[in-house]
Amino acid sequence: MGKLKQKGKAGAATNYINRNQALKKLQVSLADFRRLCILKGIYPREPKNKKKANKGSTAPTTFYYTKDIQYLAHEPVLQKFREHKIFLRKLTKALSKRELSIAKNLEKNRPVYKLDHILKERYPTFTDALRDLDDALCMLFLFSTFPATDKINSETVTNCQRLCAEFQHYIIKTKSLRKVFLSIKGIYYQAEVKGQIINWLAPYQFSQQVPDDVDFRVMLTFLEFYQTLLGFVNFKLYSDVNLVYPPKLDTSKDEGAAGLGALIIETTNSLATLSTSSHNNEDINNNDTIKEEMVRKLESEKRLKTLSKKLATIKDQGNTTSEIQPDTTKEPEVISNEEIIDEFTSSDSKYQQDVSSKTYTYSDIQNASIALTEFENLFSNCIFYLSREVPRYSLEFIIRTFGGQVGWDETCGVGSPFNESDDRITHHVIDRPTSGHRFLSRAYIQPQWVYDCVNARKLLKIEPYQPGKTLPPHLSPFVEHKEGDYIPEFEGDMEEKELRNEQEIKKDTSNEETIIPLITSDEPYNEDIIHQMELEAEATGISFSMYQEKQDQLAKNQKIQNTNNTKVQQPSIQTITGKKRAAKEIEEKEVKELAKIMMTKKQKTLYNKIQYGKKKRQEKVENLQLKIIKVTINYSLPLRAGDFFESFWIGEPIIIPLGLVTRGEGVSVGVGVGVGLGVGFAVGVGADACKSFALGVGGAPKL
Amino acid sequence: MLSDEEDEEEIDFFKQHSENEESIHDIMNSGEENDNFNNGTSGESDNDEYIAGDSLDDDDLDSRDYVEKVFDDVSSESENTQENYVIGADGNPRKILPEIDPVYDSDSSTENPTNTVGNIPMEWYDDYPHIGYNIDGKKIMKPAKGDELDKFLENMEDPDSWISVKDNLTQQNVKLTNEELEIIHRIQMGSYPKQDYDPYEPTVEWFTSKTEVMPLNATPEPKRRFIPSKWEAKRHEYLTKLFTIQPVKIMKLVRAIRQGHIVPGKTQIQKPRFYNLWNDTDQPHEEHPMLIPAPKTKLPDHEESYNPPPEYLLTEKEKKMWEEMDPEDREKNYIPQKYSCLRAVPAYNRFIQERFDRCLDLYLAPRVRRNKLNIDPESLIPKLPNPKDLQPFPTSLTLSYDAHTGRVRCISIDPTGLWLISGSDDKTIRLWEIITGRCVKTWEIEDIVHSVAWCPIKEVCAFAFSCTNKVGIISPTCICEEEVAISTTQYVTAGFDNTQQNVEQKSKLVDWSKPTNQQNLNGILVIIQHVHDKTIKQIAWHKKGDYFSTTAPDAGNQGILIHHLTKHQTQQPFRKTRGIIQSAMFHPIKPLFFVATQRYVRIYNLMKQELTKTLQAGVKWISSLDIHPMGDNIIIGSYDKKLCWFDLDLSSKPYKTLRYHTKAIRNVTYHKRLPLFASCSDDGLIQIFHGMVYNDLLQNPLIVPVKILKDGHQVVNSLGVLDCEFHPTQPWIISSGADHTINLWT
Repeated sequence: MGKLKQKGKAGAATNYINRNQALKKLQVSLADFRRLCILKGIYPREPKNKKKANKGSTAPTTFYYTKDIQYLAHEPVLQKFREHKIFLRKLTKALSKRELSIAKNLEKNRPVYKLDHILKERYPTFTDALRDLDDALCMLFLFSTFPATDKINSETVTNCQRLCAEFQHYIIKTKSLRKVFLSIKGIYYQAEVKGQIINWLAPYQFSQQVPDDVDFRVMLTFLEFYQTLLGFVNFKLYSDVNLVYPPKLDTSKDEGAAGLGALIIETTNSLATLSTSSHNNEDINNNDTIKEEMVRKLESEKRLKTLSKKLATIKDQGNTTSEIQPDTTKEPEVISNEEIIDEFTSSDSKYQQDVSSKTYTYSDIQNASIALTEFENLFSNCIFYLSREVPRYSLEFIIRTFGGQVGWDETCGVGSPFNESDDRITHHVIDRPTSGHRFLSRAYIQPQWVYDCVNARKLLKIEPYQPGKTLPPHLSPFVEHKEGDYIPEFEGDMEEKELRNEQEIKKDTSNEETIIPLITSDEPYNEDIIHQMELEAEATGISFSMYQEKQDQLAKNQKIQNTNNTKVQQPSIQTITGKKRAAKEIEEKEVKELAKIMMTKKQKTLYNKIQYGKKKRQEKVENLQLKIIKVTINYSLPLRAGDFFESFWIGEPIIIPLGLVTRGEGVSVGVGVGVGLGVGFAVGVGADACKSFALGVGGAPKL
Repeated sequence: MLSDEEDEEEIDFFKQHSENEESIHDIMNSGEENDNFNNGTSGESDNDEYIAGDSLDDDDLDSRDYVEKVFDDVSSESENTQENYVIGADGNPRKILPEIDPVYDSDSSTENPTNTVGNIPMEWYDDYPHIGYNIDGKKIMKPAKGDELDKFLENMEDPDSWISVKDNLTQQNVKLTNEELEIIHRIQMGSYPKQDYDPYEPTVEWFTSKTEVMPLNATPEPKRRFIPSKWEAKRHEYLTKLFTIQPVKIMKLVRAIRQGHIVPGKTQIQKPRFYNLWNDTDQPHEEHPMLIPAPKTKLPDHEESYNPPPEYLLTEKEKKMWEEMDPEDREKNYIPQKYSCLRAVPAYNRFIQERFDRCLDLYLAPRVRRNKLNIDPESLIPKLPNPKDLQPFPTSLTLSYDAHTGRVRCISIDPTGLWLISGSDDKTIRLWEIITGRCVKTWEIEDIVHSVAWCPIKEVCAFAFSCTNKVGIISPTCICEEEVAISTTQYVTAGFDNTQQNVEQKSKLVDWSKPTNQQNLNGILVIIQHVHDKTIKQIAWHKKGDYFSTTAPDAGNQGILIHHLTKHQTQQPFRKTRGIIQSAMFHPIKPLFFVATQRYVRIYNLMKQELTKTLQAGVKWISSLDIHPMGDNIIIGSYDKKLCWFDLDLSSKPYKTLRYHTKAIRNVTYHKRLPLFASCSDDGLIQIFHGMVYNDLLQNPLIVPVKILKDGHQVVNSLGVLDCEFHPTQPWIISSGADHTINLWT
């Protein structure tokens, strides 16, 4: 017989530790414990069974994982915290005794802790760090707009500004911005850095109103960690693209509020000491380009059959490389050529494997990469000029990321490469209803155009965005529409919609796969054959009823086809089929109801839960649809049929939408009742909510 | 040995202390010297002050005070003579002190020379002309000493010489006081030196002679008391560092400063703060179930846009609702707004608050890994064979038998499948032709008919009914052939002779009585009057048609009685019943008897007269019971809406429990031939199931719901369908309800 298990000696009872126990164990104050938790990324847990973890009590308690606390106990920073506590005690003592020189001396030797090792622990790989960058960026962007108060000093703010600017420079350099969104909270950005999606929210450029009910100690601890994180991440990012970190700061520009322009970005190539390493890098880059071209050639020539031919092409490539890179000495080139041969053969075989194993074809990948480069150079042919009322920092960042050039009004800050009267300017971003002097050579647009272009991944039409015009709605690029979701109408994606429709039609046609051969009535009725087929069907696991259904369907399809072919319209048949369909639907519903009886209790609750969620979503969508009708009718009636209604209603009628009649592609029809001085009805047909194309028909008895 | 060692240690310790003291003295002196030196040479007075201050700060000696005191003393002296001031290097006036005159001319020199050597054996100084040194380092000469003659003369001259004594410390004669003389006198007398000394004082027992329960501690001092304090050592080290830097080291430092190796006041050059922290060889964390990364913030949707489509804006009503809601309950933490242009967008005033909330979430919120359900709800619905493939089963209402004026509590179909009898609350039993719906005959009974049951054998055309505590056997002669009628009468009444023989024994339980003439004309053959006066709720026939059981739930141990029809005998199978008996049935093949009490179904072997099995249904109140014609499966219905299917071969727990009725189940029944079973409930529905039992023991029964029969019965006083029974041959079901109707479903 084994040893008797004692209660509370294993399992949840020892795996979890509550906060007070943790404090006692670590011998730190609560504030220090919290700071440590923030820095180390340790968070409370929710044990599966609270009773077991809490000695039988169910009182609400915060639990920590015991191993986490053990891990905290060995933290060097914890020791530093203790030292700091002692230091503070000494300092206050010295100050209260007015022993200033001692205080000075102590201050000089103030204990300092580093977070590098914590960073490495929390993010063992660089991708881990990138994955957790969202919060860091949000926080730093927020604090870079902070006023220096008693809670936060100006040094921290400038450091935040600097780190943010550095990161933005990296994004500009690598063109890795993907989405932007103007929300009421701020501007959302999405970038793709080394395959990781990073989102952050930057507030609008206003001085932040500092609330009283925020514990800044917590915020500052987070900020401390995030500053370190972003610093190290920036270093790594910069060094990976051969840029000098930290970039130099042009103080004169910085004082002139040049923003991003204040940092001078240098590549390491310019430094003589690092020339060898950069050289290697370039070689690698060359190899890549060579490979690409090779594969392309493969495409064109189908396949190279002999090695000699291969070598010949490689020689050609070699020549091209030497043309591109005249600096490279001959010796490394030979080596690189050899490498190419090896890699080429290997890549060839790999390529073949890829083709056979994956569904992506090479052309698909190529198209995607071309599309991406096109997207990354979206504004490459555009030269923007920003008026002083537009958010310069955001626009400058976006336009420069997508390859555009940008200049701005002097009042916004120094460093504009050109002024307003420059002839090269193609787009003038303006956020006023009218502008005094207009240049004919350039397009005047509202800032939303830039953001919408990025999200649409193409240059949109300028007309709806001209100054003074009502802007089309700005939609979030982050929403992924699922089936049954409400999709708002938007002119910008009408073309896409058409494309989508076409694709769907294609899909429908391709989906029609007939497994069971159809027995048409034209053929001689052969019972044996039918029986045989039924049996076959049953053997494959299709029940008799299903089989029959399929037969029916096939027959129907054929009939429809026949009718289409002959172009004879038989409404009676259609109504009959409609009735049948209704009956069938009812039947199916009934079968479903019956099958639900056999569900277990667990399944039933789960099913009901899902259905509840579905219903809620449905309700939301319906609510939105109802609103759109209301909007359509409200906006359209006075606009379009205003003359018609004037005789009936005195003043503007209040229209209550009753419901959505239909809502197809781009058209919604709703019915509403108008109540003004007089009662009547109104029918609204709207192309979409925001467009003025809508038609109202209404009537009311004359008073 | 040990004690020796300790002693040594003790000594060491004390030595160290004395050294410490010395060093402190040294330090003090040097500090003063330093001070003087610096004052003279206009050094960095600030720094020196700090040093001096610091050195004595912790020794509870305020050095500055000390210095000042000395200073004051000197100045007060000098005030008498002259006051000279000079502007010092620090800009403050400074006093010039008078030179110390080495010549002895002060008043103090006339005073008696004091002992400066301490209490030492004076013979050490015997060979020297002096004893000790004065404060200036000069020898203090011994007072002149005459020879013996001088001594004698002195003695003679001085009247007090006989009472004076030479003081060894000062080397002088001291005249004794009267008190001292008194003491000497007393000693000479042999008495106590002190006059008031009491030699017979009562003793005070400082250390008791008795053995104490808790004796005072006499353990030797622990070793730790003798280990020098680390803190003190540190202090010492610190102080020596501050003040007694060796001149060599000072020179080194000076040289280094001159050559520029050390730049005083300059902080060390910081290393670059950021470096390459990550390498390519880094290994990611291993997947650990307790490692839960923080969830990312939700990305904004269209509503959050500064210029959303108009349908996303809230109406006044929704806005009001949003404002009234608790901030925690709100789905969105903002109200969608529409601005005509970007210029009009204001700052978001809750930005910091939201960031702070996120921070709190990150470090305060417990994290739990929740599996997000990604199930197609349709996949939860079990895949069942299509009911169409399981036909035949009753699907629609075809016929209604309306004549009763009360609830039709019970129905029974005769084994041929042609006739139906129904018992009702209107105190009638009606006989119906099933196919036509014609009411063939009506019997008026004295009370509510609770149960009717046809005799299961075709040769006998009779049925039993129960009302109050009576059970009657009726043979409807109008529907059967004459031969059958006669044989039935014989079959039923044959027992009367038998009864008379055993009348004494059996009179306890029931009374098998002959009907009256009037009753006889109606076809009533036997009336069994029970001794107990409780209502008999159910009659169940044995398959052979010879035995039947009656169930009266309230009758205690006489609740179940088994009647032998041909012999007119009645048995009481159980001396004691456990719980309220709801229903009882005979097994179709084996000699088993099923008794359903409120919670359990008990199976008794009638041959062995023992309990073979107890089935636990897990329901609150069983209402009805039916046994599969094969005999291996039973179903029970319960008032708490559940239907349980038991496979007797499997376990005593239900194989399947179904809960689909919304009200109590009144009856459950199997089809005799087809794989069908049904349940009827107070919600007015009859549910038909396909219940296939396979001969293969390895295959579980297949249960498929096939049809819900609706709209046949109305719910009256929350009572719906009271009874239902399958047609013995056809896939039909007949049900009776509280709405006075009987329906045939085909």
